[in-house]
Amino acid sequence: MKSPALTDLQVAFHDHLLNRPNAFSREVSEGGRIGVDHRLHIYHNAYRARLLENLQDAYEKTWAYLGDETFESSALAFIEDNPPQQRNLRWHGAEFPQWLEKRFPQDLDIAELALIDWQLRLAFDGPNASPVQSAELAGLTAEDWASVGFQFVPTLFIAPVRFNSVAIWHAIDQEQTPPAAESLPDPTWLLIWRKGWQPHFRTIQAAEHAALMQLQGGASFAQVCADLGEQFSDQEAASVAAESLRTWLQDEMIVGLTGMSA
Amino acid sequence: MSLKSSSATVRKQSPGFGLGLRPVHYPDFLEAPQAVDWLEIISENYMIPGGKPLAMLDAILERYPVAMHGVSLSIGSTDGLDAQYLTELKALANHVQPMWISDHLCWTGVQGRNAHDLLPLPYSEEALRLVVRHVNQVQDTLGRRILLENVSSYLNYRSSEMSEWEFLRQVAEQADCLLLLDVNNIYVSGINHGFDPFTFLNHLPVDRVQQIHLAGHSDHGDYIVDTHDHPVAEPVWDLYRYTCARFGDVATMIERDDDIPELSVLIAELDRARAIAAETLAPGVQKTREAAL
Repeated sequence: MKSPALTDLQVAFHDHLLNRPNAFSREVSEGGRIGVDHRLHIYHNAYRARLLENLQDAYEKTWAYLGDETFESSALAFIEDNPPQQRNLRWHGAEFPQWLEKRFPQDLDIAELALIDWQLRLAFDGPNASPVQSAELAGLTAEDWASVGFQFVPTLFIAPVRFNSVAIWHAIDQEQTPPAAESLPDPTWLLIWRKGWQPHFRTIQAAEHAALMQLQGGASFAQVCADLGEQFSDQEAASVAAESLRTWLQDEMIVGLTGMSA
Repeated sequence: MSLKSSSATVRKQSPGFGLGLRPVHYPDFLEAPQAVDWLEIISENYMIPGGKPLAMLDAILERYPVAMHGVSLSIGSTDGLDAQYLTELKALANHVQPMWISDHLCWTGVQGRNAHDLLPLPYSEEALRLVVRHVNQVQDTLGRRILLENVSSYLNYRSSEMSEWEFLRQVAEQADCLLLLDVNNIYVSGINHGFDPFTFLNHLPVDRVQQIHLAGHSDHGDYIVDTHDHPVAEPVWDLYRYTCARFGDVATMIERDDDIPELSVLIAELDRARAIAAETLAPGVQKTREAAL
């Protein structure tokens, strides 16, 4: 009998793993203490077990929130829909939050919780950067302050959230019963970044979000303050700007100063 | 570039007895010296942009010699090698300056899909030519010999034309690479396929075995699964004793990936490997070994 080309053999094996039509069993030798079907099952099972374990690891809080049974059935369905294509296993599951959004359209808090899990993992081993210290800002001249902008930490992730998923995450983290899912009354955004070696996150409201968007777009801090002045009284604007800047420095979110003449 | 050596022995001198580095043991290795001669890292765990894992790795590199062990090279895939993966592997190697770099004699995916499993190859001339070509490409890219490890397997192909040990020997000699002998995998596959593990060992070229893996498995009665979640099993220790006698002083380490115990437990297990090797390699025993082999 002519041997099948190696590519055909590998494709048939992989199709077996993916539950696609194949004639792979014909390529496997008989004999030994277990039959061909059992041998095929070991690989079929190992494929799913490994990918499931990886998703459990990446989506720890989502797993706890959904419970073993629902998480496992969801994860296995995701695995069927999304065969890994990346060399490094760590990237499998990047689309799980969007996938959960479609699976649980009435419970979008689940997808949000998954997004937090995934982004915290990305922040954990994302690129390094040295934070700007308060003392560096203290040394700026009035002229510098007129044009200075900020470069933010490369792990910074910002996305809108509609539910109390952050509160749910914290409750699970502290092994407490999570609060009932509810939508947030005001527009809210999630911030995730890494401080030192530890990923951090918090939610922000419209004013801080607008300021961050402007600064990330290259605007100067002076410009941000001026825009705040159009929404708030001078005193409030100054307070919001100062408080935001103080928080960003304390949270090690600023890693570079831009826009200053040399 | 040719890596062919005129010397009969291509392997480096053994650095002794090591362990697979796992994050749960970072504090143990960084807080106090441990009775471990070297550490093996999983390459992919450090092929990342930054953060704590790379900082821990740098601290480890100041304290221990390190070998790199990959799981994603997929040397036997008909897709060919992944240039991006090789570039990242080389960048990590430049950073780590490892004693050596290893991966598995297997394939992990085809047609751009990845099973993230160490799938066996048919032991055929076609597969041999493919693997030798790929090993040559990898060694040219990395500028060094790599080690290939025998995997545990649960099926054989009708299209195989030779034994696993013959395939392994041919790959090592034709591609001029080194071998990472996983003694547990030989035992596991021996049970699963009904071959004699001593025959396997007897047919491998002594001078190409650079490293030995020991690990635990899950015995299901009719078959065994390579799970790395148990201590090394007694029959594997017996096989290790024979391996020491045949291959001499080879860098040996224990791999544990699940149900990872305290470091002291693994060090005690490693001490057993040391004792077996010392006993087997004692001068008197060594002479008997040489006479017998």
